[in-house]
Amino acid sequence: MKAWLLAIVVVLIAPPSFAHQLKAAITTVLFNQRSGNIEIMHRFHLHDTEHAVERIFDDHADLFNSEEDRARFAQYVDNRVAMRISPAQPLPLELVGAEIDGRFFWVYQQTSIPKQFDTLEMQHGVLRDIWPQQVNLVNFEGLGKVKSLHFNGDDNWLSVSF
Amino acid sequence: MIRTLPLLTLLSSVALSTVASATAIKQTKGSFEDKFRQLDETLPTANVYRSAAGAPGERYWQQQVDYDIDVTLNEQARRLSASQTIRYQNNSPHQLKYLWLQLDQNIFKSDSMAERSATFGNELQSNPIAKPAKISLNQLRRQQFMADNELGFVISNVTDSNGQELKVTIVDTMMRVDLNQPLASNEATEFSLDFAFNIVEEDAVGARSGYEHFEKDGNDIFLLAQWFPRLTAYTDYEAWTNKAFLGSGEFTLEFGDYDVEITVPADHIVSATGELANPNTVLTKTQQKRLEQAKTAKRPVFVVTEEEALEKEKSQTKDTKTWHFKAQNVRDFAWASSRKFMWDAKGYQQGGDEQPLVMAMSFYPKEGGDLWKKYSTESVIHTMEVYSRFSFDYPYPTAQSVNGPVGGMEYPMITFNGPRTKLQEDGSRTYSLAEKRFLIGVVIHEIGHIYFPMIVNSDERQWTWMDEGLNSFLDGVAGREWDPTIPWGVEPRDIAAYMKSEHQTPIMTQSDSVLRLGPNAYTKPAAALNILREVILGRELFDFAFKEYAQRWKYKRPTPADFFRTMEEASGVDLDWFWRGWFYTTDHVDISLDKIYQLRIDTKNPDIDYGRLREFEKNKPMSLFVKRNREEGRALWIDKNQDVQDFYDQNDRFTVTNKERNEYQAFLDKLKPWEKRTLERAVAEDNNYYVMEFSNLGGLVMPILLELTYQDGSKEERMIPAEIWRKNARHVSKLIITDKDKPLASVSVDPRWETADVDIENNHYPRRIIESRLEVFKKKKRDGKVYRDIMQDSKTKIKTEKEQEDN
Repeated sequence: MKAWLLAIVVVLIAPPSFAHQLKAAITTVLFNQRSGNIEIMHRFHLHDTEHAVERIFDDHADLFNSEEDRARFAQYVDNRVAMRISPAQPLPLELVGAEIDGRFFWVYQQTSIPKQFDTLEMQHGVLRDIWPQQVNLVNFEGLGKVKSLHFNGDDNWLSVSF
Repeated sequence: MIRTLPLLTLLSSVALSTVASATAIKQTKGSFEDKFRQLDETLPTANVYRSAAGAPGERYWQQQVDYDIDVTLNEQARRLSASQTIRYQNNSPHQLKYLWLQLDQNIFKSDSMAERSATFGNELQSNPIAKPAKISLNQLRRQQFMADNELGFVISNVTDSNGQELKVTIVDTMMRVDLNQPLASNEATEFSLDFAFNIVEEDAVGARSGYEHFEKDGNDIFLLAQWFPRLTAYTDYEAWTNKAFLGSGEFTLEFGDYDVEITVPADHIVSATGELANPNTVLTKTQQKRLEQAKTAKRPVFVVTEEEALEKEKSQTKDTKTWHFKAQNVRDFAWASSRKFMWDAKGYQQGGDEQPLVMAMSFYPKEGGDLWKKYSTESVIHTMEVYSRFSFDYPYPTAQSVNGPVGGMEYPMITFNGPRTKLQEDGSRTYSLAEKRFLIGVVIHEIGHIYFPMIVNSDERQWTWMDEGLNSFLDGVAGREWDPTIPWGVEPRDIAAYMKSEHQTPIMTQSDSVLRLGPNAYTKPAAALNILREVILGRELFDFAFKEYAQRWKYKRPTPADFFRTMEEASGVDLDWFWRGWFYTTDHVDISLDKIYQLRIDTKNPDIDYGRLREFEKNKPMSLFVKRNREEGRALWIDKNQDVQDFYDQNDRFTVTNKERNEYQAFLDKLKPWEKRTLERAVAEDNNYYVMEFSNLGGLVMPILLELTYQDGSKEERMIPAEIWRKNARHVSKLIITDKDKPLASVSVDPRWETADVDIENNHYPRRIIESRLEVFKKKKRDGKVYRDIMQDSKTKIKTEKEQEDN
């Protein structure tokens, strides 16, 4: 019987707490015919983001007052979201920016609408690497009926058809 | 004898409220959808326990359970040992042969259902180039803690009031006590038991209580909740609510009186549910004096100052003291103990008959800092001021906020709240704006929970939204009354994205299986209640009905049907369509204004009407053919031959003859007097008639909030009630009449985003281009400050002084 060797990597994670962080983010992927772009708009609860930034960067991160810290979080998001038509056809995402609006922290990405596709695949690991219970909901809009993807647990690449 | 049985049942969901598609009724012809069908067939039948009005019925009953507990905290061993006597009053009409108790600490046993059914959250690949799997340090710490410590209750000496042994059977986190005599209706029984357990390290295992160790000063904070075996609820709608505790669903409990004696190290300060019965024993004269001062103070008074707390941190006494607390009519008992606590208090002069003075108090270590000193106790009082307006006077003698490892959790009279300051290198303590908002918000939310569900005792396990949704709604109200520049509360637009997604379940879904608990139990119900208050009922009706609900069910156990029925009956507005749409379905709001037709009344008088028709014809766009001919300068036959003309060259088809005039007169003569008057008036007023066509694309019927913009620039609002959709839930037309001198320029539906409409683009007529968020953001960046590539700039290294000089 073969023995499978599993390498286990130990990773730093924040403890689960019952603070009223909701650990749920919503992303809108909009096929904007007017601009010709796929516009990706991530919405995080500011509260969740504040705590995440402390974990990921350092204890003194301050999203309200520091543009650099906001930019760093946006970069973190950019590194954990990917889209492709197939493994051989990745869609490069451009990081556009980030802003705070009320109780939410928004991060924006974009890419051109590809010429031909029936299916898209997406990866969305933001905050799931520090909080296992984080859930990321994605709504695809602009191509008829809204389609949704739901990232949690051990989800990796998920696909959606149009 | 204690026996453990193999687990009998999996988590079986007792679905009491079924989904609103009543299976008996089936509409198989046409496509009519009755969005306004009454909910009666879906809600449980009204009975003597819960009336059709949504109030407790004439034979409403609930059990009462009183506890007398003596407990000792062994600080070194981090262990609690106690003996307790329970008095169980059976107010039900049934005879009970056994009682079920909850042993929540047993969830930490390695063989608990929660442990055994927990999944491993990582994908494992078993091939040579597989990425390593990941296990967090946290998971490892948890496993190590559970391996090192024996966790879960040790129960012994279970005897009835005669000293006879009682047989108990432990089933995971539940324990069944078989009574030696069956307990008849309206009788009470007493029994006692001893218990002990090792307190968990809260950060290690993730719990709602436990200890936190501070490496620097070597002291602990102990937060104790779910710390004693207690009775599960026995209800009219579910009998024993005996479900295994899996960690996330919370608790259903009974009201009763508590008498608790807590023995702790003599230098600890204890905060607990209830009133301190022996202040002379455990408090110094100074502390008692300060408490007295606090009753009428303008700002919180320190009962234990920061200096005093810091002094106590330096040593650990071996002496003990016993704090004696008594609480009436509470559904649970929690407490906290530490020598690190400083303690401030301020009296809330509530007035009224029930509890004219409430002591608001906060307990926190130095790590709470100025943040807690300024805001904790004041937030507690603010919460009571606001919430009581919506429900009832705060009925307990004290309301407390305690800082510890738990982020936010609620118990009668005491809450645990997590935010803290950060220690800077220069020794000062600071906090961010976000942390301040978090502290105020969490204190408001947790103290708010004392109202819902600690007093209005809904079943948190089955219907999380009844406390979390209601509380999220109210904490938004309280937050906005604290400081409206801080964005509190739930705006309807916040929930739109969730509601249009494919991944959701109706709010009235069994809690344990809900995919995304946050939006489903907290945000969507809170948004729905905001909309009910601001748009559907208005504040006066809503506040009256909501208060009625709170007062009817104060110290009692309501179900969703009771809430739905009370709100409707007290407000006088039919709300079944609202509950159905928002709570029982996954429909969303998307109302589209498709077309507007402009019409004008025909006067029937040819001298007027024909002239109008001529104008109308003239205003049509010229045919392209004719226009080009003109441009080419083509001569027309009629122009070249002006000598050949006839009647029709002078009189177009809109010419009025006496024939038409006679017909008009004949028409007038046939009219009844009232018809004639009506027509004359309409002709004289010559109003503008607009027919507006709406579609309901999202499924959720809602009122149509119209904003009419007139050509003169003025605006007017009109609210079309949701009942407009009652005959056709998909398309409706509405006639709007405006004065002759007030023609419309444009119309918008829900311009202030009050209905959670998911698509704004189809709300405007004429259509406007609604830019996406990203388009707006990109514009802002360019027009505003000089465009910076922040992403790049953030990579810039700080130049040393030398480098600066060189440049």
